[in-house]
Amino acid sequence: MKTILLIEDYADNARLVMRTLKPYDYRLLHASDGESGLMMAVNEKPDLILLDLGLPDVEGQTLIALIRDVPELAQVPIVAVTAWPPATARQMTEAYGCDGYISKPISPKIFPSQIAAYFAPEDDE
Amino acid sequence: MTLASPTIELVPASQFTFDELVAAYNQSRVDYIVPMPMNAARLREYVHNYDVNLELSAVARRGEQILGLAMLGVRPGHTWITRLGILPVNRRCGAGQLLMEHLIRQSRRLRAPHIILEVIKGNKPAHRLFCKLGFNETRELLIVRRPPGPPANDALPYTAHDLNQQQAVELLRQRRSIPSWLDETPSLINAGKLAALRVELEDGGRGWLVYQKTIFKLARLVLQTEAGDPRQVGQALVHALHTRYPALDTKSENLPPDDPHWPALQEMGYLESFRRIEMRLELT
Repeated sequence: MKTILLIEDYADNARLVMRTLKPYDYRLLHASDGESGLMMAVNEKPDLILLDLGLPDVEGQTLIALIRDVPELAQVPIVAVTAWPPATARQMTEAYGCDGYISKPISPKIFPSQIAAYFAPEDDE
Repeated sequence: MTLASPTIELVPASQFTFDELVAAYNQSRVDYIVPMPMNAARLREYVHNYDVNLELSAVARRGEQILGLAMLGVRPGHTWITRLGILPVNRRCGAGQLLMEHLIRQSRRLRAPHIILEVIKGNKPAHRLFCKLGFNETRELLIVRRPPGPPANDALPYTAHDLNQQQAVELLRQRRSIPSWLDETPSLINAGKLAALRVELEDGGRGWLVYQKTIFKLARLVLQTEAGDPRQVGQALVHALHTRYPALDTKSENLPPDDPHWPALQEMGYLESFRRIEMRLELT
């Protein structure tokens, strides 16, 4: 079972993501700020990190840099979830070494397939 | 002091805890493209760094329900309106205008000659409100970032010298650019953790860079070319900076797009994150 860590401060957004992914075979973790998100990432070593770029304690881009600085997490896919305009989101997430971005608000219809795309079929356990 | 309208009262922000203020502020920006949420510690730091006066700042309330808030920074010669936010469910009831008019009155009482503020480019409702209240656009300001890593490009050969915080503050006194509230010298001194670099190029170009270095980030860059081509001096300055701190993320706020060092920053891997519009209301 793949573990997904969601780092998102806004409770409504977090609930929507968790509810949307609940029917699927993932272990879902949630952190509501950057510090607890980094701790959880280090301790749980998720298979995918979904990251809100606007966090209350540390900015998302800085958090990406901190995560990438942890050797065990350097290869973990990070996907930004952001309301930024697509061009800015693409440019910023590529520059910071994200594996992609998903625009907010998420669409519950397509969100599961957007997430599944980050797990190659041969990764299935 | 409590000012009342038929349904909305304005209460000094100092009557609320930082947790209460930050909860209201975060709620007010939840649907923004750039929400920039805070926690209580960050808001406390913000109030300190930017000389926000919570006695003069206000929370709009109807009964026990917080509708929104706005804050006032106070420095000799001018005031600054910031953190204006109305919770989404409470918009279009006049609370934003009421808060703004209150802070304008507070500024008049202080005999401030003008008020400045910044609005994120694209926030049309807020921009309309500010125009309606008499604010005029003065300039656009860039929020720029650079991901960690060594310098992306080489600079012309240079020699660099590191300077401490006291020397950095001395350099800021020689600054020629017009700073926004966020990077005025009092903001930088309040924020602390400052350092500086001086570079000299072989062709005689020279300049300096003041910056803030925290554990995770470089920020608050102020560049000045004293001689030579600002592009080449700028490249040398940021090359020296990122050679020293290749592992740190960098963010710098409120750089005017016509700053002569902006091309150099872009060549060294800086990206525009978003823009603000600076606006000003003359009170005299």
